[in-house]
This record gives sequence, structure tokens and C-alpha cells, in this order.
Amino acid sequence: MNDEFSYETQDTSLNKKAELPLVWLLPICAFIVSGWLIYKSASEKGPVITIDFPTAEGLEIDKTKIRYLDVEIGKVTDININQDAKTIQVTAQMHHTAENYLNQNTSFWVVRPQVGLAGISGLNTLISGAYIEVKPGDGPHQHHFTGLPAAPVLKTEAKGRQFVLETANLGSLGPRTQINFHGIPVGEVLTQELSVHADSIRLVIFIKAPYDQFVRKNTRFWKDSGIDLSAGADGFKVRTGPLVSMLSGGIAFRTPPDDTVKDVKPEYAMFHLYDTYEQSTQIEYRNTLKYVMYFNGSVRGLTEGAPVQLRGIPIGAVTGISLELDAKTADIRIPVTVDLEPDRIKEINKQPNVSNKDMMSRLISKGLRAQLQTGSLLTGQLLVDLDFHPNSKVALHSNNSTYQEFPTIPSSLDQFTHAAQTIMDKIAKLPLNELTTEMNSTLKSLQVTSKAANGMLTDAKQTMGSADKSLQSADQLLRSLEPGSTTRHEIDKLLLELNQSANSVKQLTDYLEQHPEALLRGKDDE
Amino acid sequence: MKSLPSALRQGLIRCDECGALAQRGAASRPCPVCGSSLHARIPNSLQRTLAFLLCGYALYVPANIYPIMTVTQFGVGETHTILGGILTLIEGDMLPIAILVFIASILVPLLKLIGLSLLWLCVFYRWQVNARRWTLMYRIIAFVGRWSMLDIFMISILISLVDLGGVAQVLAGPAATAFASVVVITLFAAKNFDPRLIWDNQKI
Repeated sequence: MNDEFSYETQDTSLNKKAELPLVWLLPICAFIVSGWLIYKSASEKGPVITIDFPTAEGLEIDKTKIRYLDVEIGKVTDININQDAKTIQVTAQMHHTAENYLNQNTSFWVVRPQVGLAGISGLNTLISGAYIEVKPGDGPHQHHFTGLPAAPVLKTEAKGRQFVLETANLGSLGPRTQINFHGIPVGEVLTQELSVHADSIRLVIFIKAPYDQFVRKNTRFWKDSGIDLSAGADGFKVRTGPLVSMLSGGIAFRTPPDDTVKDVKPEYAMFHLYDTYEQSTQIEYRNTLKYVMYFNGSVRGLTEGAPVQLRGIPIGAVTGISLELDAKTADIRIPVTVDLEPDRIKEINKQPNVSNKDMMSRLISKGLRAQLQTGSLLTGQLLVDLDFHPNSKVALHSNNSTYQEFPTIPSSLDQFTHAAQTIMDKIAKLPLNELTTEMNSTLKSLQVTSKAANGMLTDAKQTMGSADKSLQSADQLLRSLEPGSTTRHEIDKLLLELNQSANSVKQLTDYLEQHPEALLRGKDDE
Repeated sequence: MKSLPSALRQGLIRCDECGALAQRGAASRPCPVCGSSLHARIPNSLQRTLAFLLCGYALYVPANIYPIMTVTQFGVGETHTILGGILTLIEGDMLPIAILVFIASILVPLLKLIGLSLLWLCVFYRWQVNARRWTLMYRIIAFVGRWSMLDIFMISILISLVDLGGVAQVLAGPAATAFASVVVITLFAAKNFDPRLIWDNQKI
């Protein structure tokens, strides 16, 4: 300011003129804009979360997005290997709108392209790279999660209900197995787990609304996988499910029309999963009587599940076939356990205080016996037939099983083979050697006889020749006697004359008979 | 270093437009040659420069923290900040280009802002400096200013070239606007700064 040559002192007039601070609007605007931008980005920044994953495959820092319903709600900012050196930890910067989703039960998983029989998913990740998907859950708020190794079956909160299926054998089923209702895909298997006693497998399934209302009291679920070629005692049957089920297994269910809306089952209701459609169509009888049957002959062709019929009507099934060896007597027996369903028999004149077991005992005492019969000649399947054989004896075996024994009689085939065996035995006992020697000598003498017969035949031939000649001359003779020939005429004439002479002789004799005196007196002329 | 007596001290004013010299007393009158108004020095130079400088600083921050462009490939957008782009170039073994982009996009605007700030401070606090060097610095700043639009040129070319709909698309981000604004604002700041003021302040 002391400088005499300074700009201010030299040209005060220019500097004194107070300029409108219009130019200051510019930095003010700039500050407002950048301040607002910074505030906005700061306020949009949500929490930073960490997710543990088994692998970082496909994940990239600053590139991998976190999405919910295909909306970006966060970005991976860091990937580290965890302390245990087995998993990785993904650090992600979430959007502030994602705050509400970050709860205890929120699940995270990496979406990668997947090609399966049930379809292709995550195809877009082939070009865009993997991303992390979120399924919001409930529970307390948290910022550390453990990612799922694979996408959960239910990605979004779809409407529907979950049920539990129980089966003894999983087969080709598993999570994501499709569930069909009249051929419409209506749900999926969510999880599978072994029951506490490891005797069955429980499948949690999800049925989409509105089909979940068709899961009712008498709904039957069955494995609809592959081609169901059954060769039972009643012939061949082929049944196929949808193509997807044929390839990768499936479950189908069916609800009888009698079930009304009132019978809709609540969520997590338990159902049995039948192995085949056939099984599911059978009415399930809870009240069964277990018996053991001892068959003497071979049970080849008898399978578990083979029907037990009473006069052709199925009333039960074979549940087990085993082999028993009596160590003492070295006898081999085949105990066949059967389940009889007495409820299938309609009782009339019902007696109180008579249990089904008692009733069965009465029937046995009346002669009810089990017999193996061939169900189908084509397949050779056997079935157990019950019928009354009042004359047969009850031959009870030493029963080691916990079930009561049901008396049996040999099967008709057995009886037949037995009879055939007896005949064969008799044949075997015949003195065949002696018979053959005798037959030999007989044959020899027969040979001599035939030689003689041969000579006789030559003679006969000659005789036949002479006979032929005689016949020829006879023929000539007969031909000369043909009508119209002279000989014939002469003979006719001769015969006529003979006739006349005979007549006159007859007259003579008649006359002589009446008038014997005529021989002496001569003919009386009057 | 001895400075020659300035035109102002000799009572002359140079017309900014046509360069004609006029008598100092004629300051309130227009230039006798071209008719534009005459000023001994750019009016309110320091005030305006300061305003533009602050504006430039304010915009420099969003220009660097916001994405300058969004590359959309197959529907998946990927945003790039200036610094992020440089890091990508380094990762891609393109160090020379990375250095070039770094100089053009980060260093030059920043140096411009700092240089102008220093010039402004120098005049405001009447620092006794080597006026010749500082003038040289001012010239460099004023010359380089228009060349620091490299990023903006590249983005504008990319946007028009890479427009394949859903396959690939390049979109300018908010930082592009801020960056362009910084460049323009620093141009204005440099233009409004009067380097003669450096000389005016020097004590002989």
C-alpha cells in the first residue's frame, strides 16, 4: 500500500468502483452444486457389510454388484481370505435403501450361470459376470452374513405353502425337483433331510398359490420320475410323467374330487410320498393284520408287494419274503409275511366284541388256506390266493416270527409237479432192460413172420392175376348179356317159355291136388 | 531486476482490444481507435479471479470423486472415475497412456488452480518475486488451459462412437460436467487475471 506505483494508488478510480458481486454467484453455485452432490453421495451410502463365501469364484472388487430383484443395491469393495483360510470374506458397500434388508435371516448367494435339466439360469452372468443376489429375511439387524453356497430354491417371497413329504428312498429326487399337478409345474422340493431315526427322508416342498389349496386331506403324492414300466401279476403297464420328470425325476400329486375346500391341509402338513402312481391309487388301510405263511415249494415269481387275494379280490399284500434254515433239522423254509387288510371285507351281521383277528381265526378254522398261484403266465408273477379248502389239514410250523401263522396248502402247480414227479418215479422203477430183450426177440420172430408174409404176398399176387383173368371172362360174358343182344333175347324168350311151362306145371299140380283121381280117370270135361 | 517504467506510469493506457495507446486521462472515454472502453488494468481482476478460482476448486472435487463415464456392456453398467480409469490403464500395462491421462486430467487442472492461486496471492499480498518468472508461469497456465479438455474430448467421441444400444453404450457421468466446468472456469480465471499487476507490485 505504501508503494507509490501500486495499482491502487495509481488508478484508484478503477478500483474504488464497487462492482456488483455478480461474479460471486458462480462460486456460490459451484459450492452449492458440489456440496449437494457430496451430500447426496454421502447420504446414499448405506452400511458396509461383510459376507462369508466358500469361494470368490467370479467375484471382482468394484465390479461385482449386489442385487435384489435385479436392482443394484450394493457393490463389492473388497475380498479377503478369512482367518481360517477356508472361506473368503466379501466386503460390500450397500446402498442406503438396502438397510431394511440387512437382517439376520437375509441370505446372500452368488449367481453364476447354471445349466440343468430343469432349465438354464443365470445366463446373463455369462457376459456380465457373476453377481450376488439377496433374499431379504427377518430377524434382528446385522452387518455380517454367511453366504449360501448355492442359490436357494425360493428366491423371492412367492405366495404358496410348504408341506412335508416322507419317503423311504430319495431316488433321483432332491432340491429343485419339480412338482406337477395334472402335469402343471406347481412347485419345487426345497430341502431334503434324514429323519431323526434315519428311517425315512423328509422333503420340504413348496406349492405355489393358487395350487396349494389343492393339497387336501386325501391328496396323494407319488414319484413321477421316468418311465414307470410295471410288470405286475396283472400284466404290463407303462406310465410316463412330463419330459423333465422323465429326465431328472419329479413328484406329482392328485387330489380326489371328494375332498372339498374344507379339507385343505395346513402348512407343513405331512404326506407320504408313494413310490409309484400305482401305489398311490391304492386305498390305504391303516388297520392291518400281519401273518406269516410258510410255503414249501419255490416262491420264484413272488415279490414284495404281490397281492394277496381272496377269491380274486385283493385284500392285502406281501410285505416280506425271507429264507430260514433250521440249524437242528437242516430244513429250509420260506416265511412270507403278509399284511391283510380286513377293512376291505365288508361285514354283515356284525358281531360286537369280535376283533378282526378273531374273525380271521374263525375263517381259518373254516378252512381258509393260502396258496401260491400264478398271476400272469407271461411274467410268471405269483400271488397269494386265499380260499376255503375245508378238507385240508392245518399244518403249523414252528413259528419263530412275531406274527401268527397262516396255514397254507401246496399250490396247484406244486400239486401238479408233485404228481408228475410220482409218475416219473414209477416210470423209473419199470424193468426196462428185460423189456427190451423181450422186445428184441419178439422183433426177431416178427422179422421171420414178415418174410413168410412176403412169400404169401407173392402167391397172392399170382392168385390176383388169375382172378383178374376170371373177372375179364366174366365181364365178356356179362357184356353178351346186355339188353338188346341176341343172347339176351333168347334168354328172355327161354325164360318166358320156362315161365309158361312152370305155369302149366303149376296148373297141373293144382288140378291134381284138387282132383287126384284125374290121374286115373283123366280130366273131367264138365 | 530493474523493471522498465510501465505504460501507466508514463500516463498511457493500452486498449485491450486493438492495442492502441491512449492518454491516461482518457480512461473514462472509449478507445479512440476501436471504440471499446479503456482500462488501465482489467477491472476487478483480483475479485473475479478469486471468484472463478473458488468456483474451480468447488467443482474440482466432484470432478474427481464422481464417475466421469458409465460404460454399459450387455445391460450392465460400469462406472469409471478419472482416477479409477488411470488405475485401470496402469493395470492394463498402458503406463504411458496412464501418465498422459493423469497429467491431462488431474495434474494440469490442479496445477492451473494452484498456479493461479499463487499468482493471486502474490498480487494480493504484494510478494516481492521474480516478476519475469511469475509472468512466464501465468503464460504457461493461460496456454495450457485450453488443452486440458482431453478427457472431455475422449468421452464425447466415445459416446458418439460406442452407441450400440443394448450391447454397449458409453454415457457421460456427472464428473464430466464438473470437469469441463473446471477447465472452462480456470480459463476464465486465467483470462480475468491481469499479469501486469505482478509488475505493478514489484518494488524497484
